[in-house]
Amino acid sequence: MTNITNHTASYKDPSGFVFVEAGVVKRQINPIYFKQYQALKESGFFKQLFDNQLLVKHDEVFSSSEKIVLQPEHISFITYPYEWSFNQYKAAALLTLKLQKFAIEHGFTLKDASAFNVTFNKGKAVFIDTLSFDFYIENSPWRAYKQFITHFLGPLVLAHYHGSQSLKLISNFMDGIPLKMLASMLPFKTKLNPFLYSNIHLLAKFEDKHNQDYKGETKASTLSKKAQLNIVQSLYDYIKKLNLKESSEWGNYYNKINYCDSSFDFKSKIINQWVDNLNTKTLIDIGGNDGTFVRKIKASLQHALVCDIDNNAVDHNFKLINTNKDSYITPFVLDVLNPSASIGFNNLERFSFLKRIKDFAPDTTLALAVIHHMSLSGNVSFDMSARFFASFSKDFIIEFPKREDSWVQRLLNSKTDFKAYFDFYNEDNFENSYKKYFQIIEKQHITGTHRVLYLMKVK
Amino acid sequence: MYSLYFDPGLGAMIIQSIVAAVAAILLFSKNILYKVKAFFGLTKKDNDELFDDINVKESDIDNTSN
Repeated sequence: MTNITNHTASYKDPSGFVFVEAGVVKRQINPIYFKQYQALKESGFFKQLFDNQLLVKHDEVFSSSEKIVLQPEHISFITYPYEWSFNQYKAAALLTLKLQKFAIEHGFTLKDASAFNVTFNKGKAVFIDTLSFDFYIENSPWRAYKQFITHFLGPLVLAHYHGSQSLKLISNFMDGIPLKMLASMLPFKTKLNPFLYSNIHLLAKFEDKHNQDYKGETKASTLSKKAQLNIVQSLYDYIKKLNLKESSEWGNYYNKINYCDSSFDFKSKIINQWVDNLNTKTLIDIGGNDGTFVRKIKASLQHALVCDIDNNAVDHNFKLINTNKDSYITPFVLDVLNPSASIGFNNLERFSFLKRIKDFAPDTTLALAVIHHMSLSGNVSFDMSARFFASFSKDFIIEFPKREDSWVQRLLNSKTDFKAYFDFYNEDNFENSYKKYFQIIEKQHITGTHRVLYLMKVK
Repeated sequence: MYSLYFDPGLGAMIIQSIVAAVAAILLFSKNILYKVKAFFGLTKKDNDELFDDINVKESDIDNTSN
């Protein structure tokens, strides 16, 4: 076997590890986990989860007394918890609880409940850490309970009280939001709620009290199966009902964007034509709102990534994907001015957006009505944005709102005294900068607007 | 269970019996409330399209290889 590299994030669990062999992701199981694996396989446990699309599918490709190798279904783009919208985060939390209930009822348990064990594939939350299941020992508490609170309940409750931005905290606290901090950030009224008091405030107190105890008395505590199921069920009920206070904006989302119908249709007609001619199979729409433009594309796409800085837009997209069964779309939250960084040990556990998008290498990138935000709100020069867009796909479709555009005017006026600094923002400078990295193939004015669409090819 | 590769937290293990007791009371009272509401015809249908209930749908055929 040649060209094998261990996955840099897969080192914590002695049961096995993920590695990449000739570009294919595989999972090795060590003898320490053979018993569990055989039981999970032979009882039909894995199959039930595969059938319900709750666990990533795998094939056993090798088996000896030293190791078993699984080849999981390929997921072409992994999104991380700090890139999920509120309802995606909820879906991941509910999936974890669903799996724990199912596991307990079948003699197993989840030995960890990290949010990083879940990602989104074909429009749905899916569990990707196949080796997280262990045997349930009668009357033992849930080992991963604290992890569930700090990875899932904590961030979701924070988002409920302080807005969706709170979900980003986990990029800094990869091991979950510290309990003391979590408890201190919640409003006083949460102490009067028996559910939140027991699951967060009291837990934080208990953890604080016992954190000096090194006697390893963990095993001494007991909890009946019924009691554990009650915890899991009450967590599920609470999280399922949890909402975002800012969610009321959804209803009239697209009405707020002032497109007149005919220019909107014209724009989508040109994009459709171009995408069709390019024979695009995979694409990323940067600043793609709720996926409206991607859905207008008639050519059949294999996989479309749609990212936006706005949690509500991504959430709306996620809802649409579920109702329309648009399983080819993967939505996620991304601030193009600060894309997700590489984090974790050696900065190699969770990969940066740039690393992942370069590996994914979409055929086409769409950047519709996003350049003026980058240039005028973010002060990113044309040269910088061109270099960024030229780094991951060959074909590029960009919409350039001219100075006369009402949005551009609004952004420029907000600069007051510094308005002159933004004199560079015009069509000529834009084209000159982008020509350094791209060849402009086609240019179309969108009738009835002050916007221009460009089709470009990386040089 | 030998894969003790992360600290589950002693406090978190001990507290679970209290959390479970609270959960049991909440679930019980919710159930009673539901029954009372149902008696007076006040129950609303669960119209959450995005999230279903906690149970995994099990296929009837037992796929064990035993």
